[in-house]
Amino acid sequence: MTEQSLAFVFRGIAIVGAILVGLIAIYQVRNDWTTPGLDIQVSKLLLALMAVGCVIVILSSTGVIGWQTRAGY
Amino acid sequence: MTAATIAHEGHHDDHALALYREVADIRLLGFVLFLISDCVLFSSFIFAYIYMRDAAPVWPPTGVGLPDANLAAVNSIILFGSGATMHFAMENWKHGTEIKFRRWMVATIVLGALFLTGQGWEYTHINATWWGSTFGAAFFTLTGMHGFHVFCGIIFLIVLLNQTLSGVYNKKQYFGLVAGTLYWHFVDVIWVFLFFLFYVW
Amino acid sequence: MAVAAEVQHSALAEHIHHAPKSFINRYIFTLDHKIIGLQYMIVGSLFFIISGLLAELIRVQLLNSDGRFLTPEHFNELYSVHGSSMVWLVIIPLATGGFGNFVMPLMIGARDVAFPWLNAASFWMFPPAGLILFSSFLVGAPDAGWTEYPPVSLQGPPGTSMWCVAIFLIGISSTLTGINFLVTMLKMRAPGMTFTRMPLFVWAQLATAVLNMVATTALAAALLALFLERTFGIPFYDPSHGGSPVMWQHMFWFYSHPAVYIMILPAFGVISEVLPTFARKPIFGYKMIAFSSIAIALLGFMVWAHHMFTSGMTPWLVLPFMILTFIIAVPTGIKIFSWVATLWGGNIRYTTAMLFAVGFIATFTFGGITGIFLAAVPADYQEHGTYFVVAHIHYVLFGGSVFGLLAGAYYWFPKMSGRLLNEFWGHVHFWITFVAFNVTFLPMHWLGLLGMPRRVPVYDPQFTDWNRVASIGSFFLVIGMAVFFINVIWSIKHGKRAGPNPWNARTLEWMTSSPPPYYNFVKVPGVLHAPYEFDQPLPYIGLEPAENVVSGYKAPMPAGSH
Repeated sequence: MTEQSLAFVFRGIAIVGAILVGLIAIYQVRNDWTTPGLDIQVSKLLLALMAVGCVIVILSSTGVIGWQTRAGY
Repeated sequence: MTAATIAHEGHHDDHALALYREVADIRLLGFVLFLISDCVLFSSFIFAYIYMRDAAPVWPPTGVGLPDANLAAVNSIILFGSGATMHFAMENWKHGTEIKFRRWMVATIVLGALFLTGQGWEYTHINATWWGSTFGAAFFTLTGMHGFHVFCGIIFLIVLLNQTLSGVYNKKQYFGLVAGTLYWHFVDVIWVFLFFLFYVW
Repeated sequence: MAVAAEVQHSALAEHIHHAPKSFINRYIFTLDHKIIGLQYMIVGSLFFIISGLLAELIRVQLLNSDGRFLTPEHFNELYSVHGSSMVWLVIIPLATGGFGNFVMPLMIGARDVAFPWLNAASFWMFPPAGLILFSSFLVGAPDAGWTEYPPVSLQGPPGTSMWCVAIFLIGISSTLTGINFLVTMLKMRAPGMTFTRMPLFVWAQLATAVLNMVATTALAAALLALFLERTFGIPFYDPSHGGSPVMWQHMFWFYSHPAVYIMILPAFGVISEVLPTFARKPIFGYKMIAFSSIAIALLGFMVWAHHMFTSGMTPWLVLPFMILTFIIAVPTGIKIFSWVATLWGGNIRYTTAMLFAVGFIATFTFGGITGIFLAAVPADYQEHGTYFVVAHIHYVLFGGSVFGLLAGAYYWFPKMSGRLLNEFWGHVHFWITFVAFNVTFLPMHWLGLLGMPRRVPVYDPQFTDWNRVASIGSFFLVIGMAVFFINVIWSIKHGKRAGPNPWNARTLEWMTSSPPPYYNFVKVPGVLHAPYEFDQPLPYIGLEPAENVVSGYKAPMPAGSH
């Protein structure tokens, strides 16, 4: 496999994984939206941030953002 | 007897349960405050990285190759995925299905270890050294601290798994598992910031 | 009845564990917050004496404008270790680990802190940290000031790396203590003790705990980076490798400014307890004092760069930091006005604690005002790095923190030991210290304005006379503190016995025996009101009488009360 196509495979895996995990995280946050308790609130915050992380991974792997895009990779 | 051992003897004891709840409440707040102070540690080094980048006349510094986002993206998904598996483990514990709980815990631990392996590969293939540039200083210190936190987290999860096997926790009293989940999610979120700072920005 | 609804059941408050048995478990590796507090106080006092003697060596050198008592290298080491140990090994541990540990849980009606084992662990990091720092003299102590600015600190002797390790260690201790105290105050107050029924010392410790918990890890990061650079050459601060010395200053001061509030807030808390008790008047402006503590804690994170006005940092930052520094004087000023108003019209009894409290108001206010002088940027360009700064810091840290902690010592010594400190020698201690303190540090204001830089072993002969005055004053400070320590040691064995409440105060720690039993209270009472209304009956419900009821000092009550 050339380095170019390896990068393509990695990006593909990353995008698929990010969508999957992001949806799980958002689903859980919605489920627990009204549940009280400090541990649940902190969990919701962290899962939401993780979902943001998944979005960043998607944007980076599709070439929308990132220094690699600017550098023409 | 300490509050921690109440789980053994006090399953049906209302007073013991009330005592455990108060103790768990206190421990939870203490643990969350600890996470906040840990946050400040990472924030300080993140500040340093942003400051150094802003102050540098040329970026990246000469002789440094910025790391590729592709493998790191997969590594990130592995880590985020371990957060999802940890969540499923907790759901199963709360519903009492212990065998599934164990499977998801093992999955979390394996994914965590896989992440560290990916980091190891990254360390040996990146075109920068820890001491060679301000980029290296920031990159290896921050990801190194994060990797150390992941490593401690894996130990934490293994210990928790062991404890569930010897019956320390039950369906009503499982503060250790709550702490482990929060810590693992925390480590996940720190990585979100690090991935963005080093591989995207 | 409204009372029953407020006084909630707490399983934890009723849970009394078995008493520890062996000597080691009761006194050495104790988990009892009171004994841990005493441990902090003993070790902190020892470090205070050592650090003070280091300062005396400095003052001996400065008796002459060209003194050769010390080499310049040794001189640099002395002021660096003096400053570092006073901040990290004396005032912060005494204020939080010492007094906070002993008094705060009693004041909120708790049986111990939230995490007693962690409390003990925090303490046991303290002596090793001190050992590491003081033993650095053997290999070349840190010599770039307690602020250790690179690039000088990068070139320093091995002791600088030991300094990094020692302060990192005490930093972990501080952070854990902050977390511990914060959880204790948030979760373990007696039933009925809402936030506005908490004593002001607890409010002060609350604000301090937040600062401790959040700010200290920032210092840990800075120290770690310095250590890595010194040991492995990792480029953070060295400009020749792309690093930035100003970045160290940002990282260091982001912690170290909140640190000065960590040092002063507990002293504020002591004053807020001592003044009403010995003026026999409710504290004026309880809510203002309480909320100003929180305001100071929050604003304290936003002013750090006022230590960096002359550093060459980003120019447009200077004005906002100046303005924020002026603003933070407001909540402090509110406290000072409230304290003075508390004294106004009160039936004042000048016990030694009260003397130090009133003395505190004088010297701390003075130090606070010179802080405003320093906050004004154009003035700071003249004053930075001169003895004006040295004067300011000692007026707020000695005249502020130390005076406050001494007031606390005289106030709570009976609670800790069951005996009273000798009042005559207490007065002697106060007057010698108060006069000697001012003789030592007041001249430093004009020495600085006239141009004498700080951290210099030799100086222009025009400054000789006032330096000699300051040095002589400092020798009397030693005498004053010696009187205090002798008083303490003597009174532990031979002091007049104190009952549970020798000062007739109203906060919860006085509602149990002196010293308290290991479980603090026979029964944790419910709390109905804030504790400062002296003409009202005690605001507690369900108090079991304290064991020893030997009557001690009885304060005169206001006219018309029972």
